Amino acid sequence: MSFPVQANGSSRAVPTSEASFFWRKLSEHRTALWRLASIGLFFLVWEIAGRIPISFAFPTFLETLRAFVTMTLDGSFVAAYAETLQPLVIGIAISAVIGIGLGIVMGLSRFAEWLVAPVFIVLQAAPMAALIPLITFVYGIGLLSKTLAVIMLALPVIVLNGYKAVRNANPSLVAMCYSFQGNLWQRITKIIIPDASPVIFAGLRLGLAAGFIGVILAELLITPTGIGDLITYHRSVANYAEMYAAVVSIILVSTLTLAALEAFELRVLRPEKRKS
Amino acid sequence: MLKELTKKLCGLSGLAVAAGIGLALVAVPQAEAKVRVAYGDIASVENLHLLAAFELAKQRGVDIEMTYLKSEDIAAQAVVSGQADIGVGGPYALMQKVKVPVRIFLQLSTLRFYPAVNAEFYKTWKDLNGQEIAVHSRGSGTEAIMKLMEEKQGIKFSKISYIPGSEVRTGALLQGNVKATIVDSAGRRLLQEKAPGKFIILPLDGINATDEALFARQDFLDKNPGDVDVIVESVITTWREVTKNPAIVAEWRTKYKLLPDLPADQVAEITPYFTELAKGKAFPLNGGGEAAAKDDFAFYTLSGQLQGEPASLKVEDFWALEPLNRALGKVGTN
Repeated sequence: MSFPVQANGSSRAVPTSEASFFWRKLSEHRTALWRLASIGLFFLVWEIAGRIPISFAFPTFLETLRAFVTMTLDGSFVAAYAETLQPLVIGIAISAVIGIGLGIVMGLSRFAEWLVAPVFIVLQAAPMAALIPLITFVYGIGLLSKTLAVIMLALPVIVLNGYKAVRNANPSLVAMCYSFQGNLWQRITKIIIPDASPVIFAGLRLGLAAGFIGVILAELLITPTGIGDLITYHRSVANYAEMYAAVVSIILVSTLTLAALEAFELRVLRPEKRKS
Repeated sequence: MLKELTKKLCGLSGLAVAAGIGLALVAVPQAEAKVRVAYGDIASVENLHLLAAFELAKQRGVDIEMTYLKSEDIAAQAVVSGQADIGVGGPYALMQKVKVPVRIFLQLSTLRFYPAVNAEFYKTWKDLNGQEIAVHSRGSGTEAIMKLMEEKQGIKFSKISYIPGSEVRTGALLQGNVKATIVDSAGRRLLQEKAPGKFIILPLDGINATDEALFARQDFLDKNPGDVDVIVESVITTWREVTKNPAIVAEWRTKYKLLPDLPADQVAEITPYFTELAKGKAFPLNGGGEAAAKDDFAFYTLSGQLQGEPASLKVEDFWALEPLNRALGKVGTN
């Protein structure tokens, strides 16, 4: 009985350098590993909860994964996102242009701030899910309503971030511009906006996150299209694994989009943050 | 100072949780005595007769508590998870796919929908060939009706769009946003009132599927046969009375003080609404049963709610017939 143990021990002893190399590599990627482990643990808990089951309408992780793969391969996700992204992209584009413009104007002028800021502060605090049905009374049930829902959620965040960024532009930089005899236009385009751009961009990122909430609310509350249709349809015919897969897909898409934007932000706009 | 405060807060919240659990435990035995009915819509004129039937059951000693939920799905979920005893709806897909034995035990109504088209553009079913129509939602009864008619008439719609809510589709039709859709009887009357002659109701025959039914978990039906029998008998006798005399619903409303906040224009709607349904024989006088189940299999396999061949589906997997048979034995078939 002792022989195999010895053999085992010796086989482990030989590639010591290899093993330590492996451990070194492992510790280099420690954060990534912990993150993976956390996700893995979550899936494990999900699988167990689905097998108990905590509810008869709660699918296991593996069932959901199977549904997810099937729906990816048969093209239902592609078709759904082609529809869902329309109001989202249009809404975010409009919010970005209007939001940044308004934010800069409000940051520069006290009068504009008094006039406009309260509206957006109230809008940001308002429970939007309760307001979305009101849109349908005025604008019906088409693309316009859904785009408006996205704008209602995304615009306040973008405006308020832009306004705070411009208002809090570094005063010594502004003073420097004065001493170099820069005119108003130069002060705005060469000093204030570049200085404010990281915070404005962060506002855009938060606006996009809010836009995802807006488009899903609209698709669930106004008319079921795109990913909202997948969720409501599979719920109505009791395909719970498919319904959860659709929910997971939207979480995945929004997380990946936001992570990509954050990476872009760190690389281009905030090199100082990356170093730390 | 802060630590002390958090400690106190923790203690308080712990106390609150304990009190909550305690309350829940105390509340359970009381809740069991009540029959909890989950309805997937708000109370309106359309379910006054059901409310009246429940009042009748209450008089016979069954304590019924109605809960109004946002949609039929949620009502079905409440029944599956045991938070409600009886649900109102037609959860065939759920019964087929969820491993909990949920069974329909009484049919309340059959689908009453009217395909309505703008007379300016279309006159008959054939005119709809290659045209766009609007229905309630994917996998809904309204979609199944339109697909069935497509098959029967040998036509093909160019696109089916989804507009939830019959009143929304009626409005869209009146405003001209939609040229062909399918509406309920309230929508049909509204169309005739607002624009007489402007819209044509296309004929619809041979569709007899369940719209709403009462369903419950098998274990509830087994444990509470007395309460279930009273409810089934109350509904059947109420349905027969309404068919005989539709005006009685308005009287019941005042007698039992049902929907006391109903606005006057809707109160005026009660009798015409039930008269029309009674004329159209919309109230199943014998509670559905096996024949209704067979009709539903044919219809809902087509709509995609049910999977498989209609002939291969078993009635006992979807219906609990005993309460209905017991009740019909008592009140007789009509």
